[in-house]
Amino acid sequence: MNNRLETFVKGNRKAFDIMEPSAELWAKIEQGLDKKKKKKPVKLYLWMSAAAAIVVIFSLAWLYVGKLQNKDLEIADVSASYAKKEVHFAGLITEKRDSLAIFASANPELYKKFTADLRKLDEDYEKLKAELPTSPNQTFVVKAMVKNREIQLQLLKQQLLIINQVDDYKRVNQI
Amino acid sequence: MQGSRAAQFELYKLYAKAMYNVALRILNYEEEAEDVLQEAFLDAFTRIVDFRQETTFGLWLKQIVINKSINYLRKRKMEFVSTDEISEVPDEDSFDDSEMRLQAEEIRQAITQLPDGYRVVLSLYLLEGYDHEEIAHILKISENTSRTQYMRAKKKLKIILETKGMRDE
Repeated sequence: MNNRLETFVKGNRKAFDIMEPSAELWAKIEQGLDKKKKKKPVKLYLWMSAAAAIVVIFSLAWLYVGKLQNKDLEIADVSASYAKKEVHFAGLITEKRDSLAIFASANPELYKKFTADLRKLDEDYEKLKAELPTSPNQTFVVKAMVKNREIQLQLLKQQLLIINQVDDYKRVNQI
Repeated sequence: MQGSRAAQFELYKLYAKAMYNVALRILNYEEEAEDVLQEAFLDAFTRIVDFRQETTFGLWLKQIVINKSINYLRKRKMEFVSTDEISEVPDEDSFDDSEMRLQAEEIRQAITQLPDGYRVVLSLYLLEGYDHEEIAHILKISENTSRTQYMRAKKKLKIILETKGMRDE
């Protein structure tokens, strides 16, 4: 084995470390150390603003979801007794509408007019329903909604009466 | 931590020169070596909590310096071995350095003229005192490659010294 070079280098190791770094290097390192120290509060500030942002986002999302749920606000959420009335009227309305539909084929013109009137009332009802979540006086709106249903029902009753009479008249004339 | 600035300067004074030479041998560029040194000291001072007394501060710092220097070299897209050299078996005995002119300053300068791959392996083995197993780990090459590279570097070094000797005479 031939180790002259290795032995020589080992024996003269110091002679190989003769280069010197520039004198300003320590100042640069000190500068770097100062910068790193200052970075800490910045980091904390960053974390805090991140946390604040998350809180803001969550509360916005919560508000938004809350609003979405408000849109589905029903009469029952405002007043239980009005809701009962409304359900009662709605049941009768479907019943009467079904009865009216039976005469439809016999009196298409009349039926068309009647349903147009009913549709107007229905539209009003939907408008009221849309107003309900944002309305400052919700009981007032609910009252109007129930009243609307009541009018629909009365209208249907009258329509049925008329259509019955027309039908009777037609039948008598046929004979 | 304000009082530690003086202590940091003491450590700097103690190790800066040796570490600078370590980085310079690997990189061969004074500017890059200074950048490495600056980064290494900053790292060492800010991570000093991680430092466990298993080794000395000097060895720990040296590891940081060497790793950073190697990374700088890699950024230059330097490859430590070309593929055709990998399979070769080292031939330790075939090289005779008995007639080598041995003068520290001449050897030091000759090392700077070696190609990157040779210079790094030779420096790590000959001057930083790592064995081939450690060098293989540092450079992510095989132990055999490290041996081969070292032998080749030594041969090349001899040639450089001889040509220089002839020119001087």
